Amino acid sequence: MPAYLLLLDGLISESPDNVALLSAGAQLFALYGSRFAPPERAVTLTAKARRYGERAICLAHEPACSWPGTDYDTLVAQLQAVGARDLDALYSHAVSWLSHLDATSEDWTAVAELPWVQAVLERALALDETYENGALHGYLGILNSLRPPALGGKPDVAREHFERAIVLSGGRDLSIKVEYARRYARLVFDQELHDRLLTEVLDAPVDAPRMTLFNVLARQEAQSLLASSREYF
Amino acid sequence: MRDCRAARMPRSLTRLWLGLLLAATVSTANAADIKIASVAPDGSRWMQQMRAGAEEVNTRTAGRVTIKFYPGGVMGNDAQVLRKIRIGQLQGGAFTAGGLAERYGGLNLYGIPLLFRSLEEIDAVRAQFDPEIAAGLEGAGFVTFGFIEGGFANLLSNEPISSVEDMRRKKVWVPEGDAISFLAMETLGLSPAVLPVTDVLTGLQTGLIEIAFASPVAALVLQWHTKVKYLTDLPVSYSMGIFAIEKGAFEELSAEDRQVVREVMGRYIQGLDREARDDNRKAAEVLARSGLQTVSVNDADVDGWRATMQSIHPQLRQRPDIDAAMFDRMLAVLAEYRRTNP
Repeated sequence: MPAYLLLLDGLISESPDNVALLSAGAQLFALYGSRFAPPERAVTLTAKARRYGERAICLAHEPACSWPGTDYDTLVAQLQAVGARDLDALYSHAVSWLSHLDATSEDWTAVAELPWVQAVLERALALDETYENGALHGYLGILNSLRPPALGGKPDVAREHFERAIVLSGGRDLSIKVEYARRYARLVFDQELHDRLLTEVLDAPVDAPRMTLFNVLARQEAQSLLASSREYF
Repeated sequence: MRDCRAARMPRSLTRLWLGLLLAATVSTANAADIKIASVAPDGSRWMQQMRAGAEEVNTRTAGRVTIKFYPGGVMGNDAQVLRKIRIGQLQGGAFTAGGLAERYGGLNLYGIPLLFRSLEEIDAVRAQFDPEIAAGLEGAGFVTFGFIEGGFANLLSNEPISSVEDMRRKKVWVPEGDAISFLAMETLGLSPAVLPVTDVLTGLQTGLIEIAFASPVAALVLQWHTKVKYLTDLPVSYSMGIFAIEKGAFEELSAEDRQVVREVMGRYIQGLDREARDDNRKAAEVLARSGLQTVSVNDADVDGWRATMQSIHPQLRQRPDIDAAMFDRMLAVLAEYRRTNP
């Protein structure tokens, strides 16, 4: 994958205004930075992902150039003007931003910016909930289960997103079930659901188009979560 | 990712079995499960530190003491956790000061509105009164190993607030169950609107309330910074968290194990207490960067607010959830501090 990153970097520097390349770069750097890079590289890589993502949406949808630093209500209002044509760029913007917040989650800035990213994801979902096999529902499931209800979290909303993500991915994306178990089931202390989801992951075939690698990783995580189930609950 | 790395480690079945056998032997030797509830979500700094403390306790007591956590508020709010402790379903919890104050009136003192002017004053008072309040709480049936700073709450609003006058005719939030804040707002001649914490965000959005208050950290976590534009730079009230175990359950441990729990959990709690200040400072910077404008209050106004608040002190002294004698001594310590640190 590092070879692809270099290649994309090169292509982007040759065509710095190519929205499709920038979107692809944002997603790939986000993915590599958050899933495969050593922790000390994650911040730099996801920061680059975020820059590509911001540039992609700015080129695709001009008002988005002023989004960085804008207040929440203004962003929510302006997002309504983004159309389905710009969904690729919007999605890349959101996931690359999210990956950077995840890599810097020790920083209060990351906590502060979460509602803004969530607003972008919600707009993308409104444009096409089936995008990337329901990945948007998966992200919104995670964001809604980060906080317990007493601190403003919405586990019920999270559950609906996770359930929908499973349906839209045809159950083939195993990482959704892992996150559903890790985030939601642990948050609400539902051991039965937790163990059922993870057992399903372990029993499922990992082969699926474009998902095999992640499904293998998801199975490893499922195994480890299941092993600590009794200790946690 | 951490779980994923753990899964890749080679596992020896023999070692696992040996571990289980050892655990079984240990568990017959007077093992104690202490079940603790907390609102902090799993994975948060609080829970990471509490779990690290519990692990150290478990190791150092050779498995005799196991502390098990129920994070994320799954056991309910302070009152519900207290009920579960009463019936033995839980042995302890991480409480807010107000949540335990019905048991012991010393806990409400630090949170009296507009009592403190700076963190330095807090430090001077806490250095003297923390041990006494902990002892008082223990007398009331709860063992604590220290308090964790929540920080000063600031006013948050959509119109700049720099005086009491600015607050009049505005709907000011008062947390559900917080009788002291309610009394304070009424005394200031304001119209308080009582809501649970979880309804504040919607309240700010719909205009049901126009002024809320929270520490910088709380404002970010609760995402209230998305719905307000101004932060008034005035320490309205001080909050803290209390990690407490029901005394009966704690005393079932051997004297030696009790000592270990006190030392280890005390150390972790002290660490969190210290970190909290830095967290609030950083969170305040982030709030400012995220677009919130800081409003200052002029000194004459602040004096006016404080004088008004002092007028409710006699009423506070009458309350069963205020330790009046300790309150008077605290005021004396504060006065002395102000005299020597003008």
